[in-house]
Amino acid sequence: MYDAIQSSQEQQISPAIRSIVIVGGGAAGWITAGLLAAKHHSAEDGGIQVTLIESPDIKIIGVGEGTWPTMRSTLQKMGISETEFMRSCDATFKQGAKFAKWVDGSTEDFYYHPLMLPQGFQKMDLAPYWHNYADRISFSEAVCFQEHICEQGRAPKLITTSEYDSVANYAYHLNAGKFAEFLQKHCTTKLGVRHILDNVTDISSAENGDIAAVMTEYNGSVAGDLFIDCTGFASLLLGRHYNVPFLDKSDILFIDTALAVQVPYDSEEDAIASHTISTAQSAGWIWDIGLSSRRGIGHVYSSRHTSEDQAQQDLRAYIGGTDKDLSIRKIPIKSGHRQTFWKNNCVAVGLSAGFLEPLEASALVLIELSATMISDQLPARRDVMDIVAKRFNETTLYRWDRIIDFLKLHYILSKRTDHQFWNDNRDPETIPESLKELMNLWKYRAPGDMDFTSNNEVFPAASYQYVLYGMGFKSDFSLSQQNLTKQQQADDLFGRNMQAVQRAMASLPLHRDLINKVHKHGFQAI
Amino acid sequence: MTQLESLNKSHHRNVKIDLASAKSLCADQRMMPVVLSEFLKLSIQYPILLTKDEETGQFVAVALCGFEDSDNLFWQDGQWNAVYTPLNVRRHPFFVGANEHKKNEQDHDYIICINMTGPGVYKNNLQKDSLQENSLQENSGQALFDDGGQETSFLKEMQSVLGSLIDGEIQTQKFINALLELKLVTPVSLDITFTNQQKIRAEGLYSIDEDKLKSLDTAQIAQLHKSDYLGPIYTMIASLGQIYALIQKKNAQLKSPSKWFQKAEN
Repeated sequence: MYDAIQSSQEQQISPAIRSIVIVGGGAAGWITAGLLAAKHHSAEDGGIQVTLIESPDIKIIGVGEGTWPTMRSTLQKMGISETEFMRSCDATFKQGAKFAKWVDGSTEDFYYHPLMLPQGFQKMDLAPYWHNYADRISFSEAVCFQEHICEQGRAPKLITTSEYDSVANYAYHLNAGKFAEFLQKHCTTKLGVRHILDNVTDISSAENGDIAAVMTEYNGSVAGDLFIDCTGFASLLLGRHYNVPFLDKSDILFIDTALAVQVPYDSEEDAIASHTISTAQSAGWIWDIGLSSRRGIGHVYSSRHTSEDQAQQDLRAYIGGTDKDLSIRKIPIKSGHRQTFWKNNCVAVGLSAGFLEPLEASALVLIELSATMISDQLPARRDVMDIVAKRFNETTLYRWDRIIDFLKLHYILSKRTDHQFWNDNRDPETIPESLKELMNLWKYRAPGDMDFTSNNEVFPAASYQYVLYGMGFKSDFSLSQQNLTKQQQADDLFGRNMQAVQRAMASLPLHRDLINKVHKHGFQAI
Repeated sequence: MTQLESLNKSHHRNVKIDLASAKSLCADQRMMPVVLSEFLKLSIQYPILLTKDEETGQFVAVALCGFEDSDNLFWQDGQWNAVYTPLNVRRHPFFVGANEHKKNEQDHDYIICINMTGPGVYKNNLQKDSLQENSLQENSGQALFDDGGQETSFLKEMQSVLGSLIDGEIQTQKFINALLELKLVTPVSLDITFTNQQKIRAEGLYSIDEDKLKSLDTAQIAQLHKSDYLGPIYTMIASLGQIYALIQKKNAQLKSPSKWFQKAEN
């Protein structure tokens, strides 16, 4: 009798989530594997098993070379030494982005989107007070010291600064191919991730529509409780198996092709930029990322507006020295994302979930955010998975929409008229309603935290301020003059920023020098 | 210009050293690099801490001698005023250089060099007339070689000091690496208010993490014991008390007007 009750109870208990199978091994696959395995103790008895199946035949895309500061905590969570990471992945420090020629295309036309909040941002908003000085100093120069450091080619920390600590906030530039290899080694040797090199040939479904197992060419069927689709643009599980529709966003963001190239430094002493340089072109823009060993440069453009030949010419003109033997790689970009990201027991992370042009390095950060959310909210049993999936879908959709708004912001503020590409970008038909509303509000006030109230914001109000005022947008503060009573405090903060500039200039080493020291000596863990 | 020469009997036969003034190069050093073998002797007067080398970011062991840049509270009245003088102070004007002429295995990796343009170094008979102000009184100062060209006991002592430093630096580095491996190193931040209400925050100093030390398992403790590291670890912890003595020194200095003004008043 007792036995009968127990066994009937057992039948009702939903299966536990003990085994996670990740399909695909680029940065998305290995970041997800690493975060899951570290948090859920995969290397120990009783930990959750994490298996990553990687095709030996498919090369990773590997052009995502810019990160956000979040990467520091992501690496730390996986127990990775910053020194080892930087040495293995040709990594350098990134302190934000410099946007050149985005406003009117002239040579003096540039602004910065740094990685540090404006001075005193938590206490008061300097934007309205800066407006009085706008003709003398740029917004980012007035409120933040990071642009000054970047312009001088200085690093965000010293060799005596501990791993992951900073003097100025920073992210990384990295070699994506080496990064995936580095993570693979760390995940398999330190974190207990099982690695299968094989092609997935088929999927076997359970009665409820879940994926029961994936079939491989040489390793038979690999069963799991949760499957993570990191198969890149192929979107093998979510796209091809579950037929989750792809929402095309090319009506908002026109970029659809990338031409990527690696450019060596002229000499080992060449300065390394400590920021991403994004230079607008007639129908797109060029990224320029300085790694320790080479530069990664690419032209992303709209093929509806310009030809590949023209885009190549623009790229070569940017690089200069036309005699250089450049092997240019063409990568088609499909701007958009899946309608949902988690279906049944399958969730997509990385390109399989979607992609947007790399203007604000959103690819890797979305991978980190998604993998962290899956790991933090990992359902204990199957019966609660649908609830987690619903939340994941809501949050992730919100994030994609916010990123799309923020990317579009860079285009609608441009005053360039040299090409139809820029005129088309300002066509109200192509601007999301949510962004139009914000732009209307900001006619009379600066972006503030009240505009971004979700727990799942990607870009803070400060980022909008940097782009908005960096691109010459004027908010009309005349009707709120009566509220601007803190001129003295504001001037103190502007003064404090100038002191911070002096201190930083006096103490921070040149970026190249620090990178050399990282390779020679390394940072201390404490 | 600093003129560094490898020590050589024929070149330096007539060199004499004024010991106190040779050490004056340390007068503005707030932290003095030290080696493991002298920890116990140091601990009677100096706080022994770790700090990061500014050039390399690597940890080095130091005796704390002051709180502000170029402040050395052990340098008083033109001399090193302490019961025990660290090897890195005693060695002046000598230092160790890498032997660039090393050809065979048997050749030494290091050679002894002398800073001929440093304070307290005199080339006696050659400079006596031309550089009177700088030259020593006849018969004063320590000679390196005697009349017969043999090394003096002073030079032999200096050689042993430098030898201890060479060995000591390797041993100390091993010790520090062991501490780092066991995550026993922790930052120490000092917030000090002196009697004149001057406030100072000394940063960039590290010591032993005592909680972490207590949490080591028996195998790890046994390993430390076997390597003879437990002694220096506890010496470092105990030496932290000397920070108070150092603060007292600083307060005393702030209270008494400097010798300069005393003379002026007389």
